[in-house]
Amino acid sequence: MRARDFHLAGCRTCGLLQRLPAGANGHCPRCGSRVRQRKLESIQLTWVFLLTAMIAYLPANLYPVMTVVSLGRTQSDTIISGVYYLLLHGDWPLALIVFVASVLVPLVKIVALTYLLLTVQRRSPLRRAQRTRLYRLIEMIGRWSMVDIFVVALLAALVHAGALATILPGPGALAFTAVVILSMLAALSFDPRLIWDHEESYAAT
Amino acid sequence: MADSAQAGDYAGGEPVACHECDALQRLPRLWRGQTARCRICHAKLLRVPRGGLDRPIAFFSAALILLLVANSLPFMTLDIQGRRAVTTIFGASQALYEAGMGGLALAVFLTSIVVPALLILSSLYVLIDIRFALSLPGVRLALSWISHLQPWGMLDVFLLGVLVAFVKLGDMARMHVGVALIAYAGLIVMSAAASASFEPGYLWRRLARQRRAARAR
Repeated sequence: MRARDFHLAGCRTCGLLQRLPAGANGHCPRCGSRVRQRKLESIQLTWVFLLTAMIAYLPANLYPVMTVVSLGRTQSDTIISGVYYLLLHGDWPLALIVFVASVLVPLVKIVALTYLLLTVQRRSPLRRAQRTRLYRLIEMIGRWSMVDIFVVALLAALVHAGALATILPGPGALAFTAVVILSMLAALSFDPRLIWDHEESYAAT
Repeated sequence: MADSAQAGDYAGGEPVACHECDALQRLPRLWRGQTARCRICHAKLLRVPRGGLDRPIAFFSAALILLLVANSLPFMTLDIQGRRAVTTIFGASQALYEAGMGGLALAVFLTSIVVPALLILSSLYVLIDIRFALSLPGVRLALSWISHLQPWGMLDVFLLGVLVAFVKLGDMARMHVGVALIAYAGLIVMSAAASASFEPGYLWRRLARQRRAARAR
């Protein structure tokens, strides 16, 4: 039994179940926030954030995230070459963590959200529970991609004062932060309840 | 004065809609430490935390103190051939700003300092209000934004960044751990423990019950 079929809706903020006619929206009597049957323009908004994240993904990986100027030598690092550097310096567990957080997670998020959006738009009846679980996962892991930006900021702060070398954040860092923030916004705008909306056998479950 | 929430138990029977699949169902009776899950998609519907409200108040207070220490003392010290460089957590966003990346600096400043501080302060505010039935202003607003802000507080991610920075500079310079970094590690543990005992869904129900009781009086 879907709440919407009974003109009921659960508040997204506090969870209170309340009467809400189809297409209407109201204010939750318990917490005061706006209540809707489904998140506002969920599919369109998720696509907008997701496509923008996809566009930013290219410069994020092609441009250097930081440039080290040391004793007249200049060395630029992209996200990928940063992971490679960690691997070369013998710290493979850390290299693996950074690889997962900054290479795998953004890619998985973009692919998974595209898959979720397409299956919702095609009203796919397949694997609803697994798709919901997939959504739960990408909602949780997205923030870890910010790690590389924090590294650049910390390195720039430390070495800046050292004067022998300079570490400068590169244009890739800006694009990469945009990818992280936009894909987090995309995940937040997606409404997992859409996955279940065209389930006819729902009453039987 | 003991925390008197009928031993924190949850009576159950309340109808809810799952926030992930919209399945209509009734919540079961819950004891402290128990979690109700959706019978269709298995999402968490409600958890009654152990330790009532006293435990999260203690953890958040400790986190607040550690947050102040972590942000006011040197975080890391670096030695490059006799030259010494000291930085604070704020120094990370400052360096980005000075490198001409204002937007990036703002993103780092918000996620590493502002949002975590806001989350700890507003959680304490809400908890103390409910615990002592104070009816402070703005409690509903504070509790609503806590749930929406949570993904943007990135204390733990920042700590991973510190670890990576250590390794990357390891062969270039000598690194020293500052007092603030130790406080920061403690802060991560405290805020993890605090969030584990902080359950917005449970707090909303206690808040509503308290308001009803106040109106009946």
